[in-house]
Amino acid sequence: MDFDLPADLEEYRKQVREFSLREFTEETAMMHDIKEKYPDELRKKALESGIIDFSNPWKTMLGIEEMCRVDPGLGISATVPYFGAEILMLHGSDYLREKYLSKVATGKMMMGLGVTEPGGGSDVAGLKTSAKKSGNHYILNGSKMFITNGGIADFFVTLVRTAEPDVPSKRHRGLSVLVVERNFKGFSSNKLTGKLGVRATNTAELIFDNVEIPQENLVGEEGKGFYYVMEFFNISRVFVAAQSVGIAQGALDMVTEYLSSQEKKGVPVSEELKFKLSEMATRTEASRLLMYKAASYLFNYKPNPTITSMAKGYASETAAFCAETAMEVTGMTGLSTKLERFFRDSKIMEIWEGTSEVEKIVISRMMMRGDSSE
Amino acid sequence: MNEQLQMMMDNVKQFCEQAIKDQAITFEREGIPESMFQAFRDQGFIGANLPSSMGGAELDRQGYDAILFRLAEYSPSAAFYVYMNNSIILPLLSGAGMNDLAGEVMKGTVRIGLASSNLLEGTGDHDPFLSTAVFPSEHMIKVENGKVLLVRGKFQHADRKSLGLRGLGVGMNSFEAEESKELGRKESLEKLMLGSSWEQSAIFLGLSKGALDKAIEYTKVRKTFNYPLKDYSPVAFRLSELMSDLEFMTHFLFSEEGEQKGLMLKARSSDFSRKATKHALQYHGGYGYLEDFGVEKFYRDSVALSSLMFRPEGDKKALAESIYGSKSGYL
Repeated sequence: MDFDLPADLEEYRKQVREFSLREFTEETAMMHDIKEKYPDELRKKALESGIIDFSNPWKTMLGIEEMCRVDPGLGISATVPYFGAEILMLHGSDYLREKYLSKVATGKMMMGLGVTEPGGGSDVAGLKTSAKKSGNHYILNGSKMFITNGGIADFFVTLVRTAEPDVPSKRHRGLSVLVVERNFKGFSSNKLTGKLGVRATNTAELIFDNVEIPQENLVGEEGKGFYYVMEFFNISRVFVAAQSVGIAQGALDMVTEYLSSQEKKGVPVSEELKFKLSEMATRTEASRLLMYKAASYLFNYKPNPTITSMAKGYASETAAFCAETAMEVTGMTGLSTKLERFFRDSKIMEIWEGTSEVEKIVISRMMMRGDSSE
Repeated sequence: MNEQLQMMMDNVKQFCEQAIKDQAITFEREGIPESMFQAFRDQGFIGANLPSSMGGAELDRQGYDAILFRLAEYSPSAAFYVYMNNSIILPLLSGAGMNDLAGEVMKGTVRIGLASSNLLEGTGDHDPFLSTAVFPSEHMIKVENGKVLLVRGKFQHADRKSLGLRGLGVGMNSFEAEESKELGRKESLEKLMLGSSWEQSAIFLGLSKGALDKAIEYTKVRKTFNYPLKDYSPVAFRLSELMSDLEFMTHFLFSEEGEQKGLMLKARSSDFSRKATKHALQYHGGYGYLEDFGVEKFYRDSVALSSLMFRPEGDKKALAESIYGSKSGYL
């Protein structure tokens, strides 16, 4: 077993680190946080610099981690314009891939994923948004909530109900995925403001009022939408683990620097505080290893939902733990520096892409079914 | 809780329901308005614990804590404002013989901010500093070279929102000093901080109750997979456990006495408030992350107040030394 990454990935990690340190200045991060403004210029710079490379999922994962390590809000913003792309990659027709995905890859378009609904949350199969077939169109009605890129994306890969489930208790049946463009008549969005953290990211509610969707915008097969989205969550949860590991590592970096500088100044640092540093470091490293294991399964085409949920669940709780512990250790310094932003940004990790509770449900269900985590 | 104390709790609750509840989000966004500071004075909150010679109401410790507890349930910023004036600013002014100025503060004609960057441990020397400023404020109390100073000058409010106590305009504000006067040594301030462990605990517990009450109400009505969240054992058991802890600590707050026990409660309630508010937010899901739902403020404030009021080294060491009765916990 080799725990070292290949040299090309280590080199890539270094490049992303350098980019992030250069571009994600405190002034930039603070301004986008205060104004709740999406950093479109950074998205373009990241793309132009070549550090966004979605052809290699290991690079995607490491890139997300390194960017979030410097600033979570900006890091997520720079890497999220492609959110949901895997669904189109794996199940979209050539027409859809050409029309939409190719433009996302070149930065001409941004996309989003429309799954969560008001009052829906973790209960994906309980969604209310419906699409009725009418000739060669679907007529879409309903709404989506907490949609990342909701106010700025050009189109959304959207989970909708196209048929009632054949068995009432099997609510996940009858769901399909449609590509919904922002400029379709009847589409509107409301930006959500006043978020606790990741305020540089754009989050919105989407409203569909008799939106006509061309039949060719159906992704894959009708009725398979739930499975496509669950498959996607297996992928995206690894990337949320990467965001979380980045946040945890960033908080750890700051605490290490703070305590070291205290000692250099001759201020005694108690064992109690050093133990907290040790715990942060250990949990961060454990999260990273779990993430690598989940990624290894996933990127070798044998996804393991148990390990993926363990990685996402544990890493997200570690991000919140490290950010909170860092605030506790640094006191007023944390309160008056970028650490407080890390603290605010970290909490969403335990909520989006499956709450910590959902991850625990997945893990326990798989374990009790006898699906080994190995 | 005796009848008198219960009456105090009920009265302050009634005030909070009528005057703060529907405005709490606005306080966070725009700051506590002048009319509310006036209402605090009219209610007798300012000076509640102070001697009548200073114009105070001479409430006992529990009565004063009841005010702070209830205010923190609705607005931790409001509770901290009352605490900051009653437990820090007014005693400092009184101790320095500045009773006229203290009287002006009591009447609301003068406002004094509290610069915290170098009051406590782990602070560095930030300038501009993090200040608990009630804007517009012409006076600021700060520590410099081991002295507590009352500084008069021009205050400039930062546009960056702070992590916590947004209702008080806490932030990396700047202050251009024009003149300053010594109020005492730094130790006098530390003594006031250390001596107000019960009051600080009341704020930690009050804000925890505010967050947990919201979580309990929300989990009754929010359904997932066809059942309200309260029907799920991890949610119901965790919230019940937190409410139990809160009940024990609240009982302790109103029934115990003494510096050591105050320190014990401060350490426990500070830690507890972070845990309780975090779970309260978590059970709101994505909605908890939005300001509109009024639960994220408790999460922010619990951590900000821990940084402002709880000294992770100093307070724990003081507690350890009171338990061992000798020097301990210094390595």
